Amino acid sequence: MKNKSSAKTAETRKKRLLSLLEQQGLNIYENLDKGKFPQFVIPSRSVSNIVYDKKIRQYILGNASAVRSSRNMSQLRSYTQLAWLAFFVNRLVREGKSSTLRDIYYSSQAFSIDFEDQPESDNIIVDLEAVLTSPREEFHIFPEERSSVFGDLTIEYTVPGYEGKRMNLSDHPDGYLIGPSLSSAELVDTSAELVIAIEKGGLFTRFVEEKVHKKFKAIIVDTAGQAPRSTRNLLRRLNTEMGLPVVILADGDVYGEHIAMVIKSGSANAAHLRELTVPDAKWLGVWATDIEKYKLPTIPMTESDIKRIYDLQKDPRYQEGNWKKQLEVFLKLKRKAELEAFSKYGLTNITDKYLPAKLEESKSF
Amino acid sequence: MSKEVFSQISPSEFFYRNRDLAGFSNPTRSLYTSVREFVENALDACDHKKILPDIHLSIKAVDPEQADPKHYILTVKDNGPGIDPEHIPLAFGTVLYGSKFGLKQARGMFGLGATMAILYGQITTNKPVTVKSCSDGKTLDEFVMLLDIQKNKPVIQKHTTKEGSKTGLTVSIVLEGDYSKAGSKIRDYVYQTSLITPYASITFEDPSGEKFHYPRIVKDMPRPPTVIKPHPHGIDVETIRRMITDTHYQIPTIDNKMIDKIKKELSLKKNLSPKEILERAQKRWSDISRPVRTVISVMSFLDIDFEGLKKIRIDDIDVANRTITYWDFGESQSHAVELNPDSPYYKQLASTVQGDTLLTFLTKRFQRVGPTTAEKFCEFAKFKPDKRIGSMTNEELVKLADALQKFEEFLAPDPSCLAPLGEEPLSKGIMKFFNPEFAAVWQRNASAYSGFPFIVEMGIAYGGDIPPNGLKVYRFANRIPLLYDEGSDVVLKIVNETEWARYKIKGDPPLVIVSHICSTRIPYKTVGKENVADRPELERELKNALQYLARKLAVHMSRQGAADMAKKRANLYSKYVPLIAQFATELAGKKKEPNYNQLIRMGSEIEEQV
Repeated sequence: MKNKSSAKTAETRKKRLLSLLEQQGLNIYENLDKGKFPQFVIPSRSVSNIVYDKKIRQYILGNASAVRSSRNMSQLRSYTQLAWLAFFVNRLVREGKSSTLRDIYYSSQAFSIDFEDQPESDNIIVDLEAVLTSPREEFHIFPEERSSVFGDLTIEYTVPGYEGKRMNLSDHPDGYLIGPSLSSAELVDTSAELVIAIEKGGLFTRFVEEKVHKKFKAIIVDTAGQAPRSTRNLLRRLNTEMGLPVVILADGDVYGEHIAMVIKSGSANAAHLRELTVPDAKWLGVWATDIEKYKLPTIPMTESDIKRIYDLQKDPRYQEGNWKKQLEVFLKLKRKAELEAFSKYGLTNITDKYLPAKLEESKSF
Repeated sequence: MSKEVFSQISPSEFFYRNRDLAGFSNPTRSLYTSVREFVENALDACDHKKILPDIHLSIKAVDPEQADPKHYILTVKDNGPGIDPEHIPLAFGTVLYGSKFGLKQARGMFGLGATMAILYGQITTNKPVTVKSCSDGKTLDEFVMLLDIQKNKPVIQKHTTKEGSKTGLTVSIVLEGDYSKAGSKIRDYVYQTSLITPYASITFEDPSGEKFHYPRIVKDMPRPPTVIKPHPHGIDVETIRRMITDTHYQIPTIDNKMIDKIKKELSLKKNLSPKEILERAQKRWSDISRPVRTVISVMSFLDIDFEGLKKIRIDDIDVANRTITYWDFGESQSHAVELNPDSPYYKQLASTVQGDTLLTFLTKRFQRVGPTTAEKFCEFAKFKPDKRIGSMTNEELVKLADALQKFEEFLAPDPSCLAPLGEEPLSKGIMKFFNPEFAAVWQRNASAYSGFPFIVEMGIAYGGDIPPNGLKVYRFANRIPLLYDEGSDVVLKIVNETEWARYKIKGDPPLVIVSHICSTRIPYKTVGKENVADRPELERELKNALQYLARKLAVHMSRQGAADMAKKRANLYSKYVPLIAQFATELAGKKKEPNYNQLIRMGSEIEEQV
């Protein structure tokens, strides 16, 4: 059993956030009192300021930053929106309530802060993430999309009404939603030695049925396509706090390859955030080379698949090694294979044959 | 020499047959055109004598109960100089009688329109025209006349003389018209005429008895135009031919009138012998007129007296062959007499027949052509400067006309023949008429197209009492409003090509543009004279004027915009700063809100950051 030695990290992060919010509040308050126009300094998220940091192996923002000042009339409205969001997040976190992106859009109207549409309020949320360098999940703001986790992992809730309550994530075979309460829970202990992130819900269920968690001493995470931030954050915590290696199984196409890459080193969209990546995560498959090796049934790529390959070939992370090689093979094949393709050789073929083989192979990556 | 055999058509008859051309195509248009012609003549007459115009226009139905089109009595009364009673029958009873043949800016051309209106009235109602005139301030002459269309002659029905007190002219005609259709155009016409003639007082009484009065806005009249010689660029072959063969250079016809003239100029009381006459003429040579000199010269070569002169007709004076050919009525045969080149009269005849040298002709007969320019031109056109213009062949005249058009070193046409309204009267008119929030006017410097000088004046007005119905353009040419065929006019073209958004004008702005083109010849597109053609020179001037004014308007709009912005800013800060304070207070964990009033005040004052 791995037991976490550090203090309750969820609680620590909450305190850090509340203190950051208070600092911002004090800063604005003092400016107003002195007759000065308060302003926010927001790291620039323009393409020119997004760079790939090889050292920490993720996209990060450069040094450029923008000032949003209440002095500038054209920025006054969005400045106020940002101040409101900080105020609202402060309430959410203190009261232990969670909210969705859509909720925020509507909640603003109670304070005569009018967002024209949800994209505008979503943008302000990203602004606050950048100002406080914290993901929105820490603000208790969640997207609608949910993914799941299953395996021997004990957690301790921190949400109101459940504080201190513990729970093992292997009790329910459908898995557990990675929602606000799970995201804010403390990770207590686990017997697992591995985390398997899998792209599809169907395969996730198959893995549970086939007791992959037992056979491979694994925690299984369903990313439900491109992994949401809360899922990526959980994967990172399992990796850093519990010391578990992370492997990824995705469809044998360019999108599957990139799902693995985003878990490993983040996305440009979240370049203003840290702690969402698992730099040591390993992409098990399905590789382009696996399609031929395992004689998988394939379907032809679409135009947009091919265009996506060309796009990714410009990404600095695809300039070498296996990542580069697999893109080239995909481009050569112009065909793709889904995880379900293994069912051609029997429903358990993927868990019995492919997974062990790739896990063995991964030791040499 | 045989008489012309083909029959002539009188000018009256010509216009009667072609009345559509002159704007008398239907009762609606005819009523409008008649109003225009009389009002414009009245204004021209006042302008000419520098009298501040006082114009009364009235239109009355003969039988108000009748439906349109019906007979109307159109009366225009002015306070101009009036017309000498002896000229009235000819001026109003014949077509093509007028004094407007010189080259200067005037509203109408040649004064044909008024007679056309009289003609039209007579054709449609068979009623005479009534003209009341007082030219000396003492007697008032009243004529009632009809036109004899075939003979182009007036038929006076009645002529009375009364005591008068003020100079002026009143013309009244009865004509078929359609006021229900023409009314709005006529009211527009009177309104716009008043706008471009702010020094006039104009009253219009319509058939219903309603009075439209436009009082005088300015007391100063614009500088009157002067009559000038033509510019070489505005000349064609026909005009040159006319200039060369006009009376100045013609071999005079010898009749009793001419002999009386000679006797008068030489102060001959009794009959003298030819020799004595020549001696008398020699003494006074520099004082006597050119035709008389010519006749004297002929007398010297033929050695005849006045009685003899009456019996012959001079057919040709051939200077090159030094012969005079004449027809003797008594003998019914032709004679040729040799000229003695040593005679002092030879030179006189030679210069009469052959005319001036080209150099003299150019400098004397055209505006702004000096000897230097004339010599350069001769070189350019490959003519000898001392070439006698009377000796030019047809081909040479065509070549000359062509070269006059092409030579580029002539000075620009003299604009002194133009009478723009002037910036101040135009501006005052605009202020009075539209009471705008902003107005600007500009008079461009004179320019020219094809030898015709022109000046563009323009005004722009925005806001105030102008309704926000979109841009409205008032077009004027030589102080005449142009009301028809707006779409194809060059001014409209320029206005429509303007990107108004660049000047901060959007939507349906309360915007008025007043454009006035003055020229000795407005380049109308059609005979209707309602739309001006897009000559490049004119287009450029209009564009420059409009851009200049639009920029001024844009400055005004920016200032206006800045004021609006300050208000908007004040509103924004009053709305948002309290909210920011509320959020910050809770975030900072404070109980009391910060004092942010100062910030709201500052917020509404700061300039927009770039």
